Amino acid sequence: MMDELELLKKDWQKKDEYLPKLSYDEIHNMIWEKSSSIVKWILIISILEITLPNLIYLSPSFREDELFENVSNFSSIFIAVNIFYYSIVALYIYQFYRRYKEISVLASAKNLMHQIIKTRKTVKHYIIFCLSMSLIFFAFFIFGVSISDEFLRDIMAGMGDNSKEIPLDKIRTTAIWVLSIGGILFTAVAGGIYFLLYGLLLRKLKKNYKELKQLEV
Amino acid sequence: MNKKLEHQFVTELESNQNIVHKVCTLYTNDRDSHKDLFQEITIQLWKAYPKFRGESKFSTWMYRVALNTAITLYRKSKRRIKTQNYDSVIFKIKADEYNQEQEQQLTLMYKAVKQLGDIEKALVFLYLEDKDYREISETLGITEVNARVKMNRIKNKLRTIMNP
Repeated sequence: MMDELELLKKDWQKKDEYLPKLSYDEIHNMIWEKSSSIVKWILIISILEITLPNLIYLSPSFREDELFENVSNFSSIFIAVNIFYYSIVALYIYQFYRRYKEISVLASAKNLMHQIIKTRKTVKHYIIFCLSMSLIFFAFFIFGVSISDEFLRDIMAGMGDNSKEIPLDKIRTTAIWVLSIGGILFTAVAGGIYFLLYGLLLRKLKKNYKELKQLEV
Repeated sequence: MNKKLEHQFVTELESNQNIVHKVCTLYTNDRDSHKDLFQEITIQLWKAYPKFRGESKFSTWMYRVALNTAITLYRKSKRRIKTQNYDSVIFKIKADEYNQEQEQQLTLMYKAVKQLGDIEKALVFLYLEDKDYREISETLGITEVNARVKMNRIKNKLRTIMNP
């Protein structure tokens, strides 16, 4: 095998004449093209993940929803949850930015992969946090429905006249079920999409990283 | 200033472009993907260029960025239609320089190398470019001993691929 590799090395170094030759202008044009590297994809997906849930939450139609006005009983808890939520989001954005900036194409192959995995982990923790928050949000509603008749009537008011004939207890049970199943389903689907997306994006990287790590054992 | 930097960069890349083409040859299988990867490597090199302050040779620095892009950053576009009968540079062998047996051996070797994994290809590439184990280990981020171990395993693997 040694001889064959030496033969290969000799031939490899004579390959130059067969290689394509790009002109100065062709190369010059390339430097202004857009990158499609996975790091860029991680950045785009992360920005979407951080902004989308907050945009929905901050949009006027969502905020002016009657449901929210009726939650005034819980307003102090609500403000506290908000402060907590946004400080955590700010913390994640800061940490993501720091790690993203650390990614350097000049690092060794293994370090570069490690940096990307670390950045991705920050996003992963953020997503887990968001999904937990959404579960808490649903739990909050279920709690509201189960202890307050007024809360339940307000929901019914939005559902039209038909519901008025149905006994309150029955609606309460149905609402609790719908909210529980809906909450779990929403969290599972959102989480599933996220993990699938990143799983596909980073499959090759993870395989290569594992190969380099295995050498150390 | 920026124009000057641009000119300097493009000139250096133009004269060292063979390194990038060779990486593209190893990691892609058709002309469009080759061009795609070349472009991505060029973008990455240009982005990193301000950080490169001539501490090492331009070509040394290129190896690292080119391989990092090919192994880690580059995403193959799935929509590519494979160019039929693409005669890859890697399989072009000057017949008059070798006897028939050597020629056949070379073709088989290149075919086997193409079947290796991303990391294995990187090691073989640096080896073929006559880099020593210190440089190989630094580029990949593994120890020199591990680079040697890995290279031996690759040699065995190539042998198995060639003589199934």
